[in-house]
Amino acid sequence: MYDAPTNLETAVTQNDIKISADNVQVHYGDTHAIKDVSVEIEDKTVTAFIGPSGCGKSTFLRTLNRMNDTIDICRVTGNILLDGEDIYDPKVDPVQLRAKVGMVFQKPNPFPKSIYDNIAYGPRIHGLANSKADLDVIVEKSLRRGAIWNEVKDRLHAPGTGLSGGQQQRLCIARAVATEPEVLLMDEPCSALDPIATAQVEELIDELRKSYSVVIVTHSMQQAARVSQKTAFFHLGNLVEYDDTSKIFTNPKDERTESYITGRIG
Amino acid sequence: MNDTHIVSSFDRDLESVQAHIMKMGGLVEEAILQASQALRERDEELSEKVRKADKAIDALEEIINEEASRIIALRAPTAVDLRVILSVMKIASNLERIGDYAKNMAKRNAVLVHMTPVEGARTALGRMAREVQIMLKDALDAYIQRDVELAQEILERDQEIDQMYNALFREFLTFMMEDPRYITPCMHLHFIAKNTERMGDHVTAIAEQVIYLVTGTMPDEARPKSDMTTRDPELSEPK
Repeated sequence: MYDAPTNLETAVTQNDIKISADNVQVHYGDTHAIKDVSVEIEDKTVTAFIGPSGCGKSTFLRTLNRMNDTIDICRVTGNILLDGEDIYDPKVDPVQLRAKVGMVFQKPNPFPKSIYDNIAYGPRIHGLANSKADLDVIVEKSLRRGAIWNEVKDRLHAPGTGLSGGQQQRLCIARAVATEPEVLLMDEPCSALDPIATAQVEELIDELRKSYSVVIVTHSMQQAARVSQKTAFFHLGNLVEYDDTSKIFTNPKDERTESYITGRIG
Repeated sequence: MNDTHIVSSFDRDLESVQAHIMKMGGLVEEAILQASQALRERDEELSEKVRKADKAIDALEEIINEEASRIIALRAPTAVDLRVILSVMKIASNLERIGDYAKNMAKRNAVLVHMTPVEGARTALGRMAREVQIMLKDALDAYIQRDVELAQEILERDQEIDQMYNALFREFLTFMMEDPRYITPCMHLHFIAKNTERMGDHVTAIAEQVIYLVTGTMPDEARPKSDMTTRDPELSEPK
């Protein structure tokens, strides 16, 4: 029989496992927010977490770089391994971890500093640059990766907060990649952006996939379908289904997934 | 899974396009029946009616394609909704082809009524057309009921149509060998038989769409085929 070529953009190739989560449980006080989630996130892949509000997708994302540590009543159990190393090991410094596992938030949050210093801040505190010249190189490279260099190269010392929303978000992505992370977590990075800025960020995400493992939480299922190769559907704290994005959106296995993605009452 | 969308106008859109498929299916069934009745009764007037009625079938196909493209653009359907849209587009095109074959049968009949009748063959052609029409009705029922079992059964039944065609092929050959005056009408009748056999293939394609719609995958096995006229030289010898 004739085998169709599988050179579609959405075709999935098996990559190395970057993050391996096993039996992860998260409690906020008495609330059981994440129930026994096990998932393997691949390197050089965009993985989308989808699900209705309160399903635990953002909570789970935040366990991947220990952002939940800052919440007193939050308790995380189970194993999360980054390249085989337990990120909840007491020896691990959360600040170092977050340099490796960068994060971009829903609302663009540039520091109230110049565009240049927004990018230079991370490399400075992590000692990644030995000289001003080194730092200049990092800043330019990061801004180029953030697909914003051409728009800001003539005003690097203007405040980052003076940029438009879409530019601010790309600045934040550039800031996140400045510390050479291995994983990039994005919590609804486009929900505050217009369609043009959204398209620019999505194009950027596809570009970043060549170098990083990207995990994105999104409320827009169309966005998940457009940018990701793997999709995980969360519902009431459970990971209901995790599969190739093209499979999830054409022929999901679980009825709850199908109800959610087709916009039926679940 | 719940049957209704949160946005109820989406449900109405999907219902509308599927209702148009059913209407189109009904018109095509009627075209098959009337074309074969016209053939049996050498009724030129009825043939003309079938030819004219094909316009309504073509118009419905266009409506369905427009509705489908609008739903894709405005609703971004996924999973089963996407499969509904893909299947209605394919089924509409299958139905349109079947309608064309029925029209062609009617056109040839308008010529045939002025020629020497070929006894026997017309009855067999009528049975074949009737069988295809029943298969089509069942395929449309399977679509509405989302009945994979019935659809699977239709795939099997196409063999019977193929066998009927094989028998007719030999019969026409014999007639033509016996009396050269039969050559022209038999050529036309053979085209009718072949077109009816093709209708069966399009009905089978509709049944396959039902299976795809429900399961998300096309039936994998090569379906049984029994048109032997292109494979067995023996069949091309007169009886």
